[in-house]
Amino acid sequence: MLTLLRDLRRLRRQIALPRPDRGRSLRIRHADCGSCNGCEHELILTSSPYVDLERFGIGIVASPRHADVLLVTGAVTTRMQAPLLSAWNAMPEPRRVVALGDCALGENVLGTPEEIVGPAEAVLPVDLRIPGCPPTPDEIASALLALFDGAAPEELPPATWRATG
Amino acid sequence: MSDLRERIGTALGSGWTFAGLYAVSAAGPVRVVLADDAGGLRVESADVVRAEVPSIIDLAPAAGWDEREAHDLYGIHFTGHDPLRPLVDHDLDLGTWTVPVQGHDPYQVAVGPIHAGVIESGHFRFHLVGERILHLDARLFYKHRGLERAAEGVTLEEGSRYVARACAACAVTNGVAYAQAVEQALGLRSVPELARVRTTLLELERVWSHLNDISAVCAGTGLAAGAQHFAGLTERARRLNARLTGHRLLFGTVRIGGSDLAIDAEPIAHAGRELEELQAAAESGWRELVFNRSFQDRLPDVGVVRARDARRLGATGPAARASGVAVDQRAAGPGLAYDGLEPVVPEGATGDVRARLEQRSLELTQSFDLLDRLLTAPFAPSSAENGGGELALGAARVESPRGATLCVVERDGDQLARVHLRTGSYANWPVVAFAAAGNMLPDFPLINKSFELCYACADR
Repeated sequence: MLTLLRDLRRLRRQIALPRPDRGRSLRIRHADCGSCNGCEHELILTSSPYVDLERFGIGIVASPRHADVLLVTGAVTTRMQAPLLSAWNAMPEPRRVVALGDCALGENVLGTPEEIVGPAEAVLPVDLRIPGCPPTPDEIASALLALFDGAAPEELPPATWRATG
Repeated sequence: MSDLRERIGTALGSGWTFAGLYAVSAAGPVRVVLADDAGGLRVESADVVRAEVPSIIDLAPAAGWDEREAHDLYGIHFTGHDPLRPLVDHDLDLGTWTVPVQGHDPYQVAVGPIHAGVIESGHFRFHLVGERILHLDARLFYKHRGLERAAEGVTLEEGSRYVARACAACAVTNGVAYAQAVEQALGLRSVPELARVRTTLLELERVWSHLNDISAVCAGTGLAAGAQHFAGLTERARRLNARLTGHRLLFGTVRIGGSDLAIDAEPIAHAGRELEELQAAAESGWRELVFNRSFQDRLPDVGVVRARDARRLGATGPAARASGVAVDQRAAGPGLAYDGLEPVVPEGATGDVRARLEQRSLELTQSFDLLDRLLTAPFAPSSAENGGGELALGAARVESPRGATLCVVERDGDQLARVHLRTGSYANWPVVAFAAAGNMLPDFPLINKSFELCYACADR
C-alpha cells in the first residue's frame, strides 16, 4: 500500500499538472443514451493521474438531484429518451446540458430510425458541444473548463425544458 | 419439427458447443451456430413454419437470450421455450419479463438504466430479502440501435463501419471477426503478415482493457490508490495505441481483405520499451494489491460461478476461465498469430471476484509476452490471398477481452444481406445475473466490475 502511494506521488510530481488558478465546483451527472462506450472510456480517464479533472472541483455525482450538468453520450435511443428526460427533470436550476462525442451531436450516427430518436438536442437544449469520436480526456477536460469559465451564469441563455416533437 | 433438435442434440453430444442463434428475417430461416475445440464453426438452419421454430433452450441453456431476441426482433415463436420472456421489447409490464420470486417478505430494488458513475446504461431489478439478493433480472437493450438491421443492404465494405461502432472496447475484435467472416465468404485467406498485424491489434486492445478492469475492481472496493495506479497505466496504453495507429482506441485499424497499417522500426522499438515499462508497473501495482489485506478480504467467495454452471450458461473469456473452463478462442482461432497459446486458469479456479481479477493479471502477462514476440519487425501493408471458393455465408470467432465473439455474414454478391454479431459480453450477461444470486446487494457493483462487460455490443 505504501509503495502504491509513494509511486503515485512520484508519478504526480513527474506529470506536474498545473494547479488550478482559482477554485471551481461543477457536479456532473452522466447519462449514456446509446453510445458505443468510447466516450465513456475516455470520460473515465479524465480522473486518471494524467488529467485529474477533479483537481478543479469537477466531478461525477450519483444523482441528478446533486448535479449542475447533465452530460449526454451517444445518440438518444427510443428506450433512453424517457430516462434522459427523467434525469433532466430531477435537476435543480441552474442546470446545463453537455453533449459529449460525435453521436450525441448527431454526427455519423449508425442505427435505424425506429430505434434512434436523434442527437441530444432532439430531446434537450444543449449548452456545450464536445466533438470527437471519441474526444480525448484532455479535450473533454478543456471543454468542461471552458463551460465553467467561458461565461458568467447570467450570460448563458436560460435553460428551457423542451418536450420532444 | 424435431429435425433441428435432433441435429443440435447430436452435435452437442459429440463435442460441439453452442456459439449463437439468430433469425435471418421474420420469414426465417433461423440459424444455429456451433463451435468445436479446434476453432471450427458449423451452421445449422431451420425453416420458420407459421412463425414457429422449435426451441433448443433445454439442449443449450446458453441460447436463452438468443431465442428471446429473435422473438422480439423478428416475431418468431420458439416452441418449448416457456415462458418466452421479452428481452429487447421493453413495453411490457414487470410480470412478463421478470422471474416470479417467493420468499420471506421479498422486495425489489430497481437500478438504472442511468447509473451512479460513468457507466453504460442498463437496468437491474434485484429481488431481495434484507440485503441478500434472491434473484437478479437484468434488462439491457436500452442502447439498442438496430445496427444489424441498419447494415442490411449496404456493401460488404460499408458493413464494417456498423460492426466497428457496435462497441469501442471491442472495436478491434469485432472488426477482425467481421473481416474474417467476409473473407471466408469471399474465398480469401490470411497471410502471415496480416495475421501478425491483426494479432498485435487484438492484444493491444486486450492490454488496455485488462488494465482498465483491474482499475475498475479497485474502484469497486473503494481502493482509490489502486484504481488510480491502473487508470494511469490504461492512459499510457491508450497513448501507445495512438502513437502506433493514430487512434487511442485503435479505431479504423481493421479492414476487409488486408491491412493498411504501416509502422516503422522506430515506433516499434518505442512500443517495445513502453510495453516493458507498462508490464513492470502493472506487476508492481499487482504485488501491492496482493499484499493489501483489506482489499483482498473483499474478493473471495463473492459472485461465485462454478465450472459446471459456467459451461451450462455459455460463459466465455476471462470469467469462464476463472471458473476453471480452460477454453480460449485464441488457442483455436485460424488466420491469426497465436501459435502455441494455451488457455490459463487461476490457481484453484474458484470462479469468484478474486479469481476473475487474478485472471486479468495472468492474461496481461500472456499479452505482454505475445506483443514482445509480435513486435519484432516493422509493419507494412499486406493483403489476404485467394484461397477458396466463394460462399453465401461466412463466419468467424475471435477472442475479445471479455470472451469469444462470433460474427456471421450472409452476402448477396457484394451486398451485406445479414450480419449477426454475438460478442463475449452478450454471452456473459446472463452469467452476471446468475453470479449475483445469494450475495449481498452492496457487493453487486464489485461482482459487476469483476466481469466488466460491455453493454453496447450486447445491445447493438
